Amino acid sequence: MWLIFKKEFTELLRDRKTLIFMIALPLLVFPLILGATIFFTTSAVSDAENKVLKYAMVGQANAPAIYQALKEAPDKFEEVEIAADADYAALINRDEIDFVLEIPATYNEDILSSGQHTLKLYFNDAGLNKVYRRVEEIVKTLSDEYQTQAFETLSLTETQRDALMEPIIISRENVADEREVWGERIGAMLPYFLFFLCLQGAMAPASDMGAGEKERGTLETLLISPMERYKLVLGKFFAIALSGVISALITVTSMAVWGIVISQGMAVEFVATLMSMIGLADFALVFFMLVPVVAIFASLLLTLSIYARSFKEAQSYMGALVMVIIFPVLIAMMPGIELKGAWVWVPLTNVALAMKELIKGTMDYYALFGIFTSTAIIAGALIAFSVYWFNKEKVLFR
Amino acid sequence: MIEISHLAKKFAVESPKKLSEQEKKDPRLKGRYFHSVKDVSFTCDDGQVLGLLGPNGAGKTTTLRILSTALTPDKGEVNINGIDVLKDPIIARKKVGFLSSSTGLYGRLSGRENIAYFGQLHGLSKSDIAAKINEMADLLDMHNFLDRRAENFSSGMKQKVSIARAVIHDPELVILDEPTTGLDIMATSTVIAFIERLKAQGTPVIFSTHHLDEVQALCDKVVVINQGETVFNGTISEFSDLSGGHMHQSFLSTLDGTKMEKSNVVNL
Repeated sequence: MWLIFKKEFTELLRDRKTLIFMIALPLLVFPLILGATIFFTTSAVSDAENKVLKYAMVGQANAPAIYQALKEAPDKFEEVEIAADADYAALINRDEIDFVLEIPATYNEDILSSGQHTLKLYFNDAGLNKVYRRVEEIVKTLSDEYQTQAFETLSLTETQRDALMEPIIISRENVADEREVWGERIGAMLPYFLFFLCLQGAMAPASDMGAGEKERGTLETLLISPMERYKLVLGKFFAIALSGVISALITVTSMAVWGIVISQGMAVEFVATLMSMIGLADFALVFFMLVPVVAIFASLLLTLSIYARSFKEAQSYMGALVMVIIFPVLIAMMPGIELKGAWVWVPLTNVALAMKELIKGTMDYYALFGIFTSTAIIAGALIAFSVYWFNKEKVLFR
Repeated sequence: MIEISHLAKKFAVESPKKLSEQEKKDPRLKGRYFHSVKDVSFTCDDGQVLGLLGPNGAGKTTTLRILSTALTPDKGEVNINGIDVLKDPIIARKKVGFLSSSTGLYGRLSGRENIAYFGQLHGLSKSDIAAKINEMADLLDMHNFLDRRAENFSSGMKQKVSIARAVIHDPELVILDEPTTGLDIMATSTVIAFIERLKAQGTPVIFSTHHLDEVQALCDKVVVINQGETVFNGTISEFSDLSGGHMHQSFLSTLDGTKMEKSNVVNL
């Protein structure tokens, strides 16, 4: 068995395609995609922040302070003259102007007698833009001044002002500790990533070790070697499983390292805090739970691969398998789904939910043992089926 | 000594509708089963070379696959030097060297690694494997490409490595399925010389071929299979005498008047 495993793994490490999927992709391409996404998003936000916005004010005489504030920031705002009866929407949609601010005639009246002033801001809110936020920034200063003046007129104390501004507030008294909060947020995503990465990393090697043997014409020679069939299957099974785990570990490590690099150390504190909250034992248990899951994936992939007549056929079967496997994991991510009742017995969903509970620190370890055992039994049954499948002539000589 | 008696093997047809018209007319197709081998029997003594002949689709490869233990027959017996292949396939596999018609190699392994892998599967020690590979490299003229990756090998190179791989464990019986198909003259003569050497060593060889000149040059015995049944089983001289020494005519006469496509019999 070790001999088969060693040979399969040697071949894997010499295969450019596998190396690209297993190592280069997670080490370089994923982080590059992540980095490029962050770079372009940041650039777009920065451009929107720094863009000189062309504007027109209607009724500017009513609000000289706002007009003045806009005028005093020529590096941010540029006034454009428009006709009194101009079509604002048309001007904005033709990119001749970024926004029109319409001031009502009652703007200078006392708010205690006239009521709330409404300024109309015409702009195109589709896509990334910061028009509303940048105009609000200027108007808010003036709005705050109005508010202060009004309160002074009414001779209200600071306590009265606060009570008037927000008569009823709900104070958040969160009994969940910080770990549970983070666990709820991250714990649901973690199994999805781990399952998907393990599956993806194992797919190419599995195709090669089953259907690839048929396509190359090496299967027949291998079958007549004096090695028992179950050893052949187990050797291939372990090579597939290990490649899946390695691929997942490389990806997770790579994303963490690149995350630290990209965020210039900001993530170090976050990762360190999260790790200290989770604890090594629970973290180890998360990966321990991954063992039978990877075994399920590897045996399923090998079974499909040996059934397929060609590499291409194997890949198409595996594409369908991904959908079937990801579905129970997605269920675990849905709000309200917890490790209770029937969900404890749903394969893969229960493991994903258990991983979330482990991250949150709320796992019932007796239940964890039950889930591990049931998943291991399923994995064992699937490996046994792989061995049975590997003995079927109608599968091997299709 | 190898004894094969009354072998039969049928395969379930996955999609009967997808069969060609010719396949649908084959009398071996019965319901959802295709009886590839119906009744094949022959023997091969030590030191004999047996040529297995027959038109395409006659059941030669199925027969050889059964002998190699890759397939299990529905009926019949196979005995290799007293070992019942069906009862003790693992022991039988240690005694058989099989070269399939596909000559597949692991492309990302070198020729040497390909041969060594099968040596290890047969439980040979590293030193024995190294010595055996060197011996094979001399015999099959493989020294100049043995350490290159097999993915870039020519057909001849692949066939030589495949033969070395098949006999790395010094088998008691060597089975070769069309060993010279697709090879150039130089590679063919190397393979033929190798079979002659096995014969000289006393190792029985069973090989299937369409090349009657090879049969004439190498074989002590000839077995002809047609539509899954043994239609001739005798010595090379008995076979040759069927048509006064003309191999091609002898072959056709064994088929009992069946019209042969000329492409099925070459090098007449």
